[in-house]
Amino acid sequence: MTPTTPSLIPDVLAFVQQPGTDDAGFAAMALRLFAHQFQHNAAFARYCRSRGKTPATVQRWQDIPAVPVNAFKDLVLSCTPPDQCERVFTTSGTTREVKGQHFHPDLQVWNASMRRHFADCVGPLPMRMVVLFPTEADLPNSSLAHYLQLALQDHGLPGSIHAFGAQGVDVAAVRRAIDEARAAAQPLALLGATYSLVHLLDQCPADDPGLRLPEGSWVLDTGGFKGRSREVPMDAFYAQLSHTLGVPRARCLNMYGMTELSSQFYDAGNERCPSVKRAPHWVRTRAVDPLTGQSVPDGQAGILVHTDLANHNSVTTLMTEDVGVIMPGGFELHGRAAGSQAKGCSLAVEDFVQAARA
Amino acid sequence: MTTPALSHRLGHLPAGAGLTPAWRAVPDRPDGPWRLPVLDGPQWAALLAHLRGPARARLRQLPVREIMQAIDRTALALLEPGNPGLAGLLAELPAWTGQSPEMVRVNLQATLRLYRQSALQRLLAEELGGADVLDGFAARAHGGLSHAEGVPLIGHVWAGNVPGLPLWGLVSGLLVKSAQIGKVSLGEPLVASVFAQTLAQVHPVLGDALAVLWWDRDDPVAPHTVWPACDVVQAFGGDAALASLQQQMPAGVRFVPHGHKISFGAIGREALGPNRIQRVARLAAEDVVRHEQQGCYSPQCWFVEEGGAAPAQEFAERLAAALAQLATRYPRPAPDLASAHRIAQWRSQLQWQDGVQVIGQAEDPWAVAFHAQPTALTPGPLHRCVQVVALPDLSALAAQLTAWPRHLQSVGLALAPERLQPLALALAACGVTRLSAVGQMPLPAPGWHNDGRPNLIDLVQWVDLEASAEQLAEGLSRYEV
Repeated sequence: MTPTTPSLIPDVLAFVQQPGTDDAGFAAMALRLFAHQFQHNAAFARYCRSRGKTPATVQRWQDIPAVPVNAFKDLVLSCTPPDQCERVFTTSGTTREVKGQHFHPDLQVWNASMRRHFADCVGPLPMRMVVLFPTEADLPNSSLAHYLQLALQDHGLPGSIHAFGAQGVDVAAVRRAIDEARAAAQPLALLGATYSLVHLLDQCPADDPGLRLPEGSWVLDTGGFKGRSREVPMDAFYAQLSHTLGVPRARCLNMYGMTELSSQFYDAGNERCPSVKRAPHWVRTRAVDPLTGQSVPDGQAGILVHTDLANHNSVTTLMTEDVGVIMPGGFELHGRAAGSQAKGCSLAVEDFVQAARA
Repeated sequence: MTTPALSHRLGHLPAGAGLTPAWRAVPDRPDGPWRLPVLDGPQWAALLAHLRGPARARLRQLPVREIMQAIDRTALALLEPGNPGLAGLLAELPAWTGQSPEMVRVNLQATLRLYRQSALQRLLAEELGGADVLDGFAARAHGGLSHAEGVPLIGHVWAGNVPGLPLWGLVSGLLVKSAQIGKVSLGEPLVASVFAQTLAQVHPVLGDALAVLWWDRDDPVAPHTVWPACDVVQAFGGDAALASLQQQMPAGVRFVPHGHKISFGAIGREALGPNRIQRVARLAAEDVVRHEQQGCYSPQCWFVEEGGAAPAQEFAERLAAALAQLATRYPRPAPDLASAHRIAQWRSQLQWQDGVQVIGQAEDPWAVAFHAQPTALTPGPLHRCVQVVALPDLSALAAQLTAWPRHLQSVGLALAPERLQPLALALAACGVTRLSAVGQMPLPAPGWHNDGRPNLIDLVQWVDLEASAEQLAEGLSRYEV
């Protein structure tokens, strides 16, 4: 028996495509999705019950239980049976060997969400694009590969390429693309994983004229370093990126996204770090005290919790591992919560992986 | 609020070394009033030469009894209500450690009581058969004589958050008459500093053979100067910190690491009777609360045997009730954001497992997770978060411990007499090094073998004067013809 997700999809799509929403509209859709997910996802329902939360008791969207992202590694969080899902996106598995899985019955809503907010926040478009990431064919379970493919397909002018091979970033292809853009007197957009951009910077001299992008170009990075490149403080990263590519920091955008969500967040450039990230109207972000789940006052650091109404098939509300501060217009990211160590002599949970490997 | 009686100058330098160090703010607290001594290259050399040379030579002249009396008087002074050092520690430690004032008070008193003279005498009797081997040569049962010569210089690396932890090694080093240099933790540099400063007032010769400082692990001078001068280095810390420290050790230095540990309890079905279960659960809760689970000996899990008058689940519920009750008298310090996040994640992960009941709400200052089925021991987020695992029989316990052969430490027991030794022996094979009553886990007996190691024997070198020398000497005496 197919669950009722399909009947919801048109409504969620319409919600994403409407110009905006008010508090009541957001709350109504969030609570409707919560009831749906509670009914059709046994693992999620058990989790909610253990916290005393059911559709009967939850009156405000802020009270929907936030599911920690690592639940995607341990549980099947899908209203539609996984074997009936068109696509599964998996996490990159940088912190543990087990990968989180995010099931999508189809990608209509995901694509609509990506397209709408990308077009609202990124640009100018269309552009010649150079993508520093594998293609979707190479990485079919990567939400980022799919994201970049959509960007290129929708907005890439002729001459756009993937400059990424078995050896990683294809620096020669990047240089060729820059030369061609210059010859065509067109600006260029460079998009890719943050660590791919670090690899590019590391393989080229800082004053390499061949790497300077034409006037009007922009850069979009996402995802951080993930242990795949050297770790650079974000301020230093954008300074170097801007210097080497000749793109003002205001045109160096960062996209914040997660495999476990179906929407993305963008800043308006990185003249100042940390930048403020903007959510689309179908996503709301709170900074919470992780023990009570209650929002902390704006301006105070808390753990970021996103309610993403495009997550119609999994769970709307996710507790991240990121520390953030709610600001006018969005939120600032202040790093990972997992960074600090317990101070005593008692073995604590964060030592678990390390000790088990010893 | 700072207490004027407690010097803002942390650490301790031997008066006889004649050093006038520079002072700097504590790195984690740049705006605070606290200052740590900083030495330059020649000052490090002078300090180490003083400790290994004249300071140790004078300490070596003292009989052990006089040293014990000085330690006893120091502990007594710090136990004395109104002592400025004690008042200062009670006022300042809560802010440094995040523990409540009530917790700091009970723990400090319990620790200092371990250094009374009678406890030290028992320690000497147990490990060295008394003080004679330290003061001179003592007869051996099978002929000849032996002497225990304390190494010239002992180095210590102390961890924070369990106030008083540094004192174990420091007192042991004093008893064997070694000079000592200790590196405090920035998490808690107070207790060692105050103890050393008080000791120096009580007995200047002891104070002169002691230095308490802090330096950065990556300091270009200190590690390369201090460690080669030491004969033994005792260190507390996490696996990663100990591994990097071990790499700094020159060949020939005896390195005694004490890594992070995991401890747990084992409750026999006989402890679940109507007059017993409540008392045992209360003791178990006290073990959890004392030291805020930061100690190596603090329990993270209770294995409870089914088949008693009450089910294991009832033990879990009573433990939760006792934790709730203790939280009113000893409030849990608010966890920082990262710790709170770890607690929330830990709770959630348990909540979506089958057969697990998480007792209490996320905002409660404690958490008990009950596993109805045998479950392997895993560390938790601390801050009064514990697991209770039902076992059909305690003979199934060893199988739950296999992931941690090098990390197991203390076990709190509530068992019938005839079961004590068989279970203890089975746990010894798993890597456990200490078994105590439930309720006594964070209160190790004086002279306990921390992590299975002796207290004094690691710090001395045995010197044998064999019977043959005596026999030959007889023929060389003035009275022999």
